[in-house]
Amino acid sequence: MKMSLDEVLMITALGSYVLAALALLVYFFSRQEWLVSFGAPLAILGCVAQFAQLVARFELTGVWPLLNLYGSLSLFSAMAVAIYIGFAFKYKTWFAGGFLLALAAIFLAYGVTWNEGTMPPVPSLQSYWAKIHVPLVVSSYAAFMVSFVFSCIYLVKYYAEQYFEGIKVTAAFAADLGGMAGAAEIATNPALSVIANAAGVDLSRSVLRDTPAIQAAAASGNPVAQWLATLPTLAQLDNIVYRAVAIGLPLISIGIITGAMWAKESWGAYWQWDPKETAALFSWIIYLAYMHLHTRGSWRGLRTNWVSVIGFLSILFCYFGVNIWISGLHSYKM
Amino acid sequence: MTRAWDEFVQTFGNVLFAVSLFVVWGILTLVGVVVDQGKDPQVYFESYAAPIARAIVRLNFDNIYHSPWYVGIIGLILTSLAVCTFKRVIPARLPPLHPVKVDKIPLHASFEAAGDPTSIRERLADALGKRGWQVRKRIFDGTEWTFADRHNWARRGVLVAHIGFTIIAAGTTIYWARGFSGETAILTGQAAEIPETKAIVRLDDFAYKIQPIMTKSGMVYQPIDYVSHVTVTGKDAIPKAMTVRVNHPIDVDGTFYYQSSYGFGMRFLVTHNGKPVAGLPARTLMEGDSFDIPGTQRSVVYERLAPTVDKQSGMPSADPRLNDPAAILAVTQAGQSLGEALVPLRTSIDAGQGWQVTPERYVLYSGFQYRYDPGVPLVGIGAFVLLSGLIVSFYFLPARLFVRVDDAGSGRSRVGLAATTVKGYDVFENEFDRLSATLREQAMT
Repeated sequence: MKMSLDEVLMITALGSYVLAALALLVYFFSRQEWLVSFGAPLAILGCVAQFAQLVARFELTGVWPLLNLYGSLSLFSAMAVAIYIGFAFKYKTWFAGGFLLALAAIFLAYGVTWNEGTMPPVPSLQSYWAKIHVPLVVSSYAAFMVSFVFSCIYLVKYYAEQYFEGIKVTAAFAADLGGMAGAAEIATNPALSVIANAAGVDLSRSVLRDTPAIQAAAASGNPVAQWLATLPTLAQLDNIVYRAVAIGLPLISIGIITGAMWAKESWGAYWQWDPKETAALFSWIIYLAYMHLHTRGSWRGLRTNWVSVIGFLSILFCYFGVNIWISGLHSYKM
Repeated sequence: MTRAWDEFVQTFGNVLFAVSLFVVWGILTLVGVVVDQGKDPQVYFESYAAPIARAIVRLNFDNIYHSPWYVGIIGLILTSLAVCTFKRVIPARLPPLHPVKVDKIPLHASFEAAGDPTSIRERLADALGKRGWQVRKRIFDGTEWTFADRHNWARRGVLVAHIGFTIIAAGTTIYWARGFSGETAILTGQAAEIPETKAIVRLDDFAYKIQPIMTKSGMVYQPIDYVSHVTVTGKDAIPKAMTVRVNHPIDVDGTFYYQSSYGFGMRFLVTHNGKPVAGLPARTLMEGDSFDIPGTQRSVVYERLAPTVDKQSGMPSADPRLNDPAAILAVTQAGQSLGEALVPLRTSIDAGQGWQVTPERYVLYSGFQYRYDPGVPLVGIGAFVLLSGLIVSFYFLPARLFVRVDDAGSGRSRVGLAATTVKGYDVFENEFDRLSATLREQAMT
């Protein structure tokens, strides 16, 4: 069976994501650096192959490839991986790659099941807005998926800290660490080098502020705590989530606005209270609430990360629930 | 009264109160997504358990976006936005300069450098200025402080976003107050007057194109184009030929006309005892229209046209192209259905008591939406302003650096640095570390 170029590229992308996800998942637990050297290039290869596939599909068919669930899911996973790779290089977050790439691979594989071949777009989709609105909205979904993954990791570490606080591993040592708050103490306190050696991590101010119970447990030899200590601090994770949402929220805002402009041109009203529009509005409200809550120190962290998780669930509902299960003006499944 | 006002400002100026309003807004919006909107009450009673259906109907959840709840929550959000803007956002634009306890601020650093405090201060101010920080000096209780601000203008981002949201609300209100919209369906060769504008729209011709495509799941009939050729007479009373397509509306005196639907009207020949009855029905019927048979309680309903009839099954085909069309007619007796029939064109059916009904020929009609919305430019400006505010708020981090230089004796000075930002400390931690290292270097040289 002879495969077309876009099929070859799609298989390359999917295969690369699966292998990269496996490598980075193992890295997440083992922290063997060579796995990053293996997984990161594969993730990049998959991402490049996916964008190339979208371009090839457009060139081969002449039809804008994002007008059905297959095409939009393809861009969704490609953008999620692209945004993640940017974060991984900037914030050294390859540890999260396994989860994100696994999700990207799942969404991409699911998208392939909706591939019905090439179809010309229906009249309402024959608009230059399709080339503006769809990529913006899908890219915002991708950014929110990145924030979701980091929020989940944040929550795991946060609740692990609660757990270790509960069992009070080396309580005296924890109390000792809890009393330290500044860079000067870190530089001079020998207890920290013990922790650093045990956990194999570079400790900073935030680590002490964040998770003293995990650090204490790590220092006392608890392997799970030692592994948790290798993750960024809660503050750093929260910061990454914030930055991903800060990409997604303007994108979804512009996406909703351009969608409204398109709707005005196509249907006569920029807002029709169509289920897709209102579901997107719902997600926008959640992330708006996230941003407002994030201005409050007391709400920043646990609560905002839960809001981020709920926000992504709302995105999934908006993306799949409305497209597939609820009929409306946006029911472009195929 | 003053106390009540203070409490109002206190409540509506609270960010958590605003977030609570967002939560309620989100829930009401979600209800509208899940519950079908604008249906007859019967539909809800068929779809949901009776208590839920009753709640949907009585609480206006069947038209939630125009319900008092929804309009009310938007009103509360706008009120909260206004109070927050004046109480929190505007005062936060230019925070006053005041000294701090350097080591009590989480982002702090200190070091010693050779030189007197004045020269060290100058070196640090110079270094900060070169890096784009706005440097100001103040003396408090005899101690000179250096304050450096970065992206101070970005503190206005939230204010700009709030203004954008308000402009959008204003644009929407203008449509509610002065705009209008409506729908009309026009048969080929006929004209319709738009009640609000008195414009005359005549449909000269309507055409549609459908392409059969074989997919992995089977044959799909994909609509490709809908085109209405119209002649429009607006305020200037000069008829103009125009073309309306999906995504290509026409503008007549500021009112836009959109291609929205199409269908098949039907002309009938009715005979009684073999003789044609003139003027029955009086006009071409649209899909869903009916006419009464004189002297009986019977009515004939023209349900729709089946563009193609499957030759093997004799049933309407999924093919929407006009190949072998037939009319789907229903006959009712005193409102009760007597049955439905697929009647090929120019074929008669017996309506009883000597009456024969023949669907003679179809006439395409085109459905248009029209809308006059003077608020659109304002909504567009508001959207742009809102986005600008969001981008400024998210991507530019206003930060303030506090620098205190004291004499440490022996020709040395002790430098204390601290930093605050509008988004907490963690977000600036790495940058602060780099900046303090740079300043230390500069102070040493």
